[in-house]
Amino acid sequence: MAEVLITVRLAPPATLETAMLRLGLTEDDVDTAYGLVPVDPGKNLYVLRVTEDAGRRVGDSDGGTADGGPYSDPPIEPYGPPR
Amino acid sequence: MRVLIQLRPSPDLVAAVADPSVSSMASDVADNLPGVVLDHSYAPVAVPRPMPASLGGDPLSLNQPLVFSMAPQDASVVVRGEIADDEVTSRIALLPAAHRDVVAVYADPAIESSLTCGGDPAVGDWHDVERLLRVPDLTAEGLDGSGVPLAVVDTGINAAYVKAARGHDVTVDHERSWSPQSVSGTPGDFPVDHGTMCAFDALIAAPKASLVDVPVLLSRRQGGSTLDGLLSDAIAAYAHLREVIDAQPAESRALVVTNSWGSFSPRWDFPPGHPGNYSDNPAHPFNLIVGSLAEAGADILFAAGNCGAQCRDSRCAYPDRPIVGANSHPRALSIGGIDTSGTRVGYSSQGPGRLAARKPDVCAYTHFAGSGALGDDEPDSGTSAACPVAAGLVAAVRSRWPATVLAPAQLRTLLRRTADDRSAVGYDHDYGYGVVDAAGIIAALRRRAAKAA
Repeated sequence: MAEVLITVRLAPPATLETAMLRLGLTEDDVDTAYGLVPVDPGKNLYVLRVTEDAGRRVGDSDGGTADGGPYSDPPIEPYGPPR
Repeated sequence: MRVLIQLRPSPDLVAAVADPSVSSMASDVADNLPGVVLDHSYAPVAVPRPMPASLGGDPLSLNQPLVFSMAPQDASVVVRGEIADDEVTSRIALLPAAHRDVVAVYADPAIESSLTCGGDPAVGDWHDVERLLRVPDLTAEGLDGSGVPLAVVDTGINAAYVKAARGHDVTVDHERSWSPQSVSGTPGDFPVDHGTMCAFDALIAAPKASLVDVPVLLSRRQGGSTLDGLLSDAIAAYAHLREVIDAQPAESRALVVTNSWGSFSPRWDFPPGHPGNYSDNPAHPFNLIVGSLAEAGADILFAAGNCGAQCRDSRCAYPDRPIVGANSHPRALSIGGIDTSGTRVGYSSQGPGRLAARKPDVCAYTHFAGSGALGDDEPDSGTSAACPVAAGLVAAVRSRWPATVLAPAQLRTLLRRTADDRSAVGYDHDYGYGVVDAAGIIAALRRRAAKAA
């Protein structure tokens, strides 16, 4: 699992920079091209794609600063034609 | 689940069942079986009792010379019935106690020998699908997809190909289309492939829908195949679709999202029970955003997958319950596949689902000669084709029934309730609630409109 997902709650206006600052992450930790993606605007919940190491470091399952994760980011494929 | 119930009623009843000159009915020997819907079209059958051929033989062993007795005091009777899938274990355990004549309950598996599988030729063509979906009737009701954005989250659409194959104009909504950053290309102008097939199939019931091209499966992760993406790309796509629906005026809010893809293997996932798992975890960010988009008014449909027991896709790596993650989301419709003869295709994944047990929800048509996007003689196949066929039907409904009038949850219920049931007791894990039924939908919408007037 090369990269994983983590979630964070941020008050608006949320940016990737504020998310990284809040989580204590550097540009080497984060897929900056992917950016900060809103999951549920009503709940101010966002997702980032980060390295596995960073995910383990800040993920909430290990008591880190993120609000959720690390979550898997599995490959997805078309369901057809059946092989 | 269809079952065979073995009973040992009074000898005179057994004698009557065994007598070919006497007409017996299932209710004569098996009335009041709690939780069992008897099949009254199946006449009870007398079954002989196996007995040791020699004195002193083991009365319980079948591995010895046997004689078979049809004497009324020895023989038993078999009837056929159905038990709801989610009650099978408890009913089978309780039946012998609840009814003293019940000896045993056995599965009655289908013995179909000709289920359509991958590699088989097409069964019918897309005009048959048009007829089965009653497209002229839908059009007469004004249900043709006009003004409805229909997002095809897939490998990209080639609109010129779809137009040539259909013989009609195709609308691609460039403004609402979206690509991952790593994907270059123009909406509606991607190479002909799986996504083009999905677009063609979605337009069968909704020829005037506006296609929103979302080619997430072209994101080409490092080390992956040419046609796959990452779930994080789908999250970003759904975040875009959320902006699309939030920007619509409430009185015409509608967005149909068809997804003919999924995750084939647990290899890249955390195991079930791990907080970061996708397949079984409603808290995974993609499962959250699916719920959030549905809540905002989108109709989301996922293919059930091609991991059916009879002829599963060789990529299927989940050992059981192959309808995983968002393909089994409670706020999405999970679509199984049937051919145009009305029979489930052998590769259509069976439930229960992992996020919600009652998956698939309904079935729609697949394995027909359609777009030809996968090859000249290749049918539009997989639950990949069934999903956009159903999505087109949903988009047709949305042309007159925006989400603010008929909420996505209500529409899902409408599709389930009007589906053409393929079993005697409602839901089953092969067909779900049944096959999508446009006539039933039209009738239900007319009733709803009359009530509102």
